[in-house]
Amino acid sequence: MALGLAMSAIMLAAPARAEAPLKIGYSDWPGWVAWQVAIDKGWLKEAGVAADFQWFDYVASMDAFAAGKLDAVSVTNGDALVMGGSGTKSIMILVNDYSNGNDMIIAKPGIKSLAELKGKKIGVEMGFVDHLLLLNGLEKADMTESDVELVNVATNNTPQVLASGDVDAVGAWQPSSGQAMKLVPGARPIYTSADEPGLIYDTLTVTPTSLANRRDEYVKLIKVWDKVVKYINDPETQPDALKIMSARVGLTPAQYKPLLNGTKLLTLEESSKFLEKGDGFSSLYGSSQISDDFNVKYKVYADPQDVDSYIDPSLEADALK
Amino acid sequence: MNPEKALPSYLDQSDAVRERFERLKERPKILEVKGLDKVFETPKGETVALKDIHFDTHRREFLCVVGPSGCGKSTLIRILAGLDAQTGGEVLLEGKPVRGPGKDRGMVFQGYTLFPWLSVKRNVMFGLTVNGMGFQEAERQALQWLALIGLEKFADAYPHQLSGGMKQRVAIARALANQPRILLMDEPFGALDAQTRARMQAHLLEIWRKIDITIVFITHDLDEAIYLADRVLVLKAHPGEVQELIEVPVPHPRKMEQFISDEFLATKARLEELIYAHEEKEEGESEEEYDYPDMPRLVEVDDSVD
Amino acid sequence: MSRTNWFSVQTELSSQAKTVLGVFSFILPILVWSIVSYVPVVWHPLVQITDPGSVSYLQVDMRMPRGPFEDAVAEAQAEGQAPPEGFPANPVYLPAPHEVAEALYTAFVTPPPSKDMPWLHQSLWHSIQVIFWGFFLSSAIGVPLGVLCGAYAPISRLTEPFVEFFRYLPAPAFGALAVAILGIYDGPKIAIIFIGTFFQQVLIIANTTRKLDGALAEAALTLGAGNLQLLTRVVVPGVLPDLYRDLRILLGWAWTYLIVAELIGTTSGITWFITQQARYQHFENVYAAIIIIGIIGLGTDLVLGMLARRFFPWDRNGK
Repeated sequence: MALGLAMSAIMLAAPARAEAPLKIGYSDWPGWVAWQVAIDKGWLKEAGVAADFQWFDYVASMDAFAAGKLDAVSVTNGDALVMGGSGTKSIMILVNDYSNGNDMIIAKPGIKSLAELKGKKIGVEMGFVDHLLLLNGLEKADMTESDVELVNVATNNTPQVLASGDVDAVGAWQPSSGQAMKLVPGARPIYTSADEPGLIYDTLTVTPTSLANRRDEYVKLIKVWDKVVKYINDPETQPDALKIMSARVGLTPAQYKPLLNGTKLLTLEESSKFLEKGDGFSSLYGSSQISDDFNVKYKVYADPQDVDSYIDPSLEADALK
Repeated sequence: MNPEKALPSYLDQSDAVRERFERLKERPKILEVKGLDKVFETPKGETVALKDIHFDTHRREFLCVVGPSGCGKSTLIRILAGLDAQTGGEVLLEGKPVRGPGKDRGMVFQGYTLFPWLSVKRNVMFGLTVNGMGFQEAERQALQWLALIGLEKFADAYPHQLSGGMKQRVAIARALANQPRILLMDEPFGALDAQTRARMQAHLLEIWRKIDITIVFITHDLDEAIYLADRVLVLKAHPGEVQELIEVPVPHPRKMEQFISDEFLATKARLEELIYAHEEKEEGESEEEYDYPDMPRLVEVDDSVD
Repeated sequence: MSRTNWFSVQTELSSQAKTVLGVFSFILPILVWSIVSYVPVVWHPLVQITDPGSVSYLQVDMRMPRGPFEDAVAEAQAEGQAPPEGFPANPVYLPAPHEVAEALYTAFVTPPPSKDMPWLHQSLWHSIQVIFWGFFLSSAIGVPLGVLCGAYAPISRLTEPFVEFFRYLPAPAFGALAVAILGIYDGPKIAIIFIGTFFQQVLIIANTTRKLDGALAEAALTLGAGNLQLLTRVVVPGVLPDLYRDLRILLGWAWTYLIVAELIGTTSGITWFITQQARYQHFENVYAAIIIIGIIGLGTDLVLGMLARRFFPWDRNGK
């Protein structure tokens, strides 16, 4: 009987055929909400891209991608590896942005630097990007994880946890990081992704199959992205872009502006620089390698991934031609 | 009660009564019960509910079954209805062995078993339609049966709108609508108040006189048994066995006034003797030994009248 | 007015008294809510800033606990600088009734900000459809199966032990699997409602069926009813009013699975609206949506209750 239900539903939602629009999952992150500009302005159709953007909760979008229901999904480079580590191979073809302050370690009033957190409790969602951000910051402050006490907290709950006073700091990304500061007056970021640009890249990640079959369309899509970033960055058109983006998540443009400021949206020219091979955070390759090491160390997955195979810089290069 | 007055024997029958019984016994046998046994398996072992029961009923006879509690009256009638299976012996209805329930044996239960979601008329039609009769014919017949029991005005009422007595009248009509060979009644008036019960008894005799039906009627009310029955089957308990099959010497047609007639009282005395003598043998000793505990007096009573 | 003792156990109330008390059951909580919201001395543990004064980390409309606020005022005054100003406020989690009422109104009259986003009533309608299909599919299989389990012991033994086991498994845990099988749209959402409802349903319906008075079945047998007729003409009509009552209760349960269902696959529906609004701390919208769901739930149940009296005029426990 469950089978019958499954059958009928499968027929309702038939998997994408080659001619069907690309099914792309996106979620609530400024670098991905930016696609809304292209959607609302009709630029996709203009560029001859048949793409069907589907709005998800972030984790649900990864589930759907892992289940093979999407051609492409918007994820961080770290999470692309995480999906790969559990068997869903994917390829990053576009770097949308890097977090430029939206990811934060926020300490309660009175604490002004990471060094002061020595021996204190920090709430962070273990194995997620802000755990990595914290480790990165601790390293710079000549500390390791053993110098602080970590409390595993779902990122959505970090504002309330900080407000409860049970921890001295939390690690979170927007909007949770902003909520935490609103909820605990005087709380401020002591370390953010702006201090280590390139720690977290946000990408458009596609299935190998759809990349093989629909490469031309993806190149066109990447060209549209360039137009989107320029539209958002241009002070003249930015208000309109903010209006579109804030509407997507149910905020006012004024409320949305700070979130946009914490995200460094990348034009193709800027973006392609991060697709050059290199070590350290200034390259997607180096950053992903650091993520991979982190994921293996924290047993997010067991075997190190071949980072190079997760990145295809050629599409951006073609789009720039 | 007047113990001084000597009653005639319950075996003495007036000529009219004797002739009536002779005619009755010439009629064909509808129901034959032969060597019926019923043993229940319980966790404590086997319990013999019925042992070697024999009796017959003739066409248009009214047979009452009485006995002390635990004598297996209800078990007996459930076996006759086919709702329970016997462990030995056989039940023949017009010579054919009974297996499972069937429309040739109607039954009226002690509890109210009208279908609450059906109107009175539809309740009476139930048996007709499940046996394949068309709706219109079933409705026509149901209305006739309702007229017979005097409830045609309530044809469209639901059972919950009826009094207890009316419910049992509809239950009788519902059972009779199938035109069974025999009507089995398991203490059908047991839940009714005394007045209603008396009216129902008269009513039942009236119906029985009008139509060709044989009735086996279970009761623990001895007056009811004598008033209704041609013959009374007396069972004893542990195990349930036939003690006596009594021919009731009270002449027909039966009337309420006969309750104080000599024949009636003699029969009742005999039934009481059979039933209560037996019960006392079983329970008497314990009753004498039972000491009532001293009850603390909770209420101050000045005018002790007791 | 006649004096009736309302507090004697299990006494029936007059229908007038029932209505009055029913209305009060809503007025009382609203009254409590209003008192907590509008009387400043009741609760109000926070201060909402109207003027940050000289305190750098404060902003207008920020809420902070009263203690630290007073400290900040004292500090500023000690330093001879402008103290911050504010008024007592409740946490953002508890908006006042008028804010919720306003949100309730604006939610329906404000067009969606983007053309590919739904109006609130469209979200709501979408949720209702998900509930309907989940519940309908569950009932289409669960009710007949439950009745069969209740009527026939072998079917019961073959079905119920597993169902009993399965109903403890949390429906949300099947979210990812549901997406993998049923895609990203309404399929997995309906499946979650189905899983959340179905297993409870089979057991409850089976139990209800078993409670049917066995004497009715015996009466039908003595009237010549066959096995199939017993099922269709006695068991089913006999349990129908109770079954209907069960379904009304189960429908309420189905709503509780909606919030999980709507987080799976593409986001949609009224509970997604709640999740999204809560994430950005627009609690007046959250409460408005909760109230809408409550009204829909209560309204549906009232209508179903009224229909029950029409469908089952013989049923006396139906009120």
